[in-house]
Amino acid sequence: MSRLNPFAKLPGLNTASVLLVESEEHFQQSLAEALVEETSVTVNVRLAKSFPLPIENDESRPRIDLVVFIINLTSELSFQSAEASLKYLEPGYFLGKVCFMVTNARSSSVPAERLDAVRRLAASLHCPLLFAEEQTPQGVTNAAERLLTILKAAAGFVPFTTPLYLSNLTRCTLPPDIDQPSFD
Amino acid sequence: MDDTSKLLLQRLVRRIPTQMLKATLDKWGRLTVEQRQAMDFTQSKWALTQKLLSVCEENKLTLTHLAELEMIHAMENPNQGMWYTFQLLEPENDAQSVELTQFKQQFKCHLSELLRQMSVKIKKHTDEAVWIRIALGSSFSKPNHLKPTYVVHYLQTPYVFVRNLTSKLKPLLSQALTLATRHQGVKEANLSGRNLTSIRDLLMRQYQQVFPTKYRSPPEEEDQPVLNQHIEKEQGGVAAHRRHMAHQAFGDGMLPQLQSAVYMLDTKFRDPNNRTMTEREETFKCVVKFSSIDLLESLRSCASSGIASAPVTPLLSSIPLKGRNYFVVTDNTPGPSSQGHQTQN
Repeated sequence: MSRLNPFAKLPGLNTASVLLVESEEHFQQSLAEALVEETSVTVNVRLAKSFPLPIENDESRPRIDLVVFIINLTSELSFQSAEASLKYLEPGYFLGKVCFMVTNARSSSVPAERLDAVRRLAASLHCPLLFAEEQTPQGVTNAAERLLTILKAAAGFVPFTTPLYLSNLTRCTLPPDIDQPSFD
Repeated sequence: MDDTSKLLLQRLVRRIPTQMLKATLDKWGRLTVEQRQAMDFTQSKWALTQKLLSVCEENKLTLTHLAELEMIHAMENPNQGMWYTFQLLEPENDAQSVELTQFKQQFKCHLSELLRQMSVKIKKHTDEAVWIRIALGSSFSKPNHLKPTYVVHYLQTPYVFVRNLTSKLKPLLSQALTLATRHQGVKEANLSGRNLTSIRDLLMRQYQQVFPTKYRSPPEEEDQPVLNQHIEKEQGGVAAHRRHMAHQAFGDGMLPQLQSAVYMLDTKFRDPNNRTMTEREETFKCVVKFSSIDLLESLRSCASSGIASAPVTPLLSSIPLKGRNYFVVTDNTPGPSSQGHQTQN
């Protein structure tokens, strides 16, 4: 089983690479286009449907600084696919180089348990959890901006910050009463 | 004007949208020019109905005239109600030479022989379709014009589309149809849908089709714009392969709109994880129903986006190939029979 290793390759000069993983391959394209607009650093975006990544791309793939799992809350398959993909990452990634992005969380057809499951997953892995609006261009730009902030820290472009801070300071936390039934 | 005519007129006015009412009345041609100009279409539906009622009284219009109006509306809006398809079998030698007058005469004659209380209207639509409206009555009651059956037939083709068919009319209708079109039998074609034009296109193959070949088609031109050099797809090859498979099964043009596909499974239960069910001798009966606004289109996008497994199962791809959306699957048929399907909406 070939796993993705965070430190197997040398970083490029003034370059940050991000891997967007989404089983539906729907939002990642527009998000990628918004991400590469960034001018202060060169952003490389790799798009994938799920792990494992094809071996023949190993040579051409740059060092991935941040892995983003995009989970569409309206689809159970999307969550399961992300969960199954996690085991193809080296443990080093979970020191601040993985983040989860949830879309469609406002949709009324989403069962509340699914969001809880995603939060539990993110909290157990000490990863940040972002919410994004994929329907509007405004939402996509916002999501890209927030991702860029994390990406820059994860790639080491922010002075006096390491990705380790990310996993400690921005990780998803669970409310203590998540298991108790709510009364509303 | 009796009560039935009043009721029929009320229902008609209620059903026809206000902006279409004027055109429909013009086409009907039973009102004089002055009467049509006197109609004020900005009024409420109720006021319009009262106005129309008085005009109809004045012109001494009867139930049959109103039935005509309803038929005009039905022909203008073929995509309403559920249409079922029948196929005529074993044409006789002169089946190709049946023409409209002969068909009309024969059909009416055969039906009226079978049942006295019946009102039949036959009209030819602009696109070669023959529309038949049948209102059926029992032996003691007048024809029920409130629930007519519509039959659409294209002369010289073996297909008949029927809406609102009652079980009582079915044997009579099939007999009259086979005799009038010079065929020897009729069977259900297992295709139904809300969109008449679509199911017609599907059966008569009037849409862009693909033909199964064993050779790979030449790689399609990438019509996507050139991607940014900083964006790269890890699994681009797989995605292209999936799109290719979806294209092979469903083509890439416009597909006819179907609303549902039903599979009656009567097969042995097969699941390696569930021994109790798998070891049972008798077959496992269940119904798998796919429904969507545009079923074929959604199946295609499921296949190309990877939600459904990559080579589309022959069960799904045979919907456009065989032109039917009702299948009975038993263990004897070749091909995969009891696979897990993902349902989608």
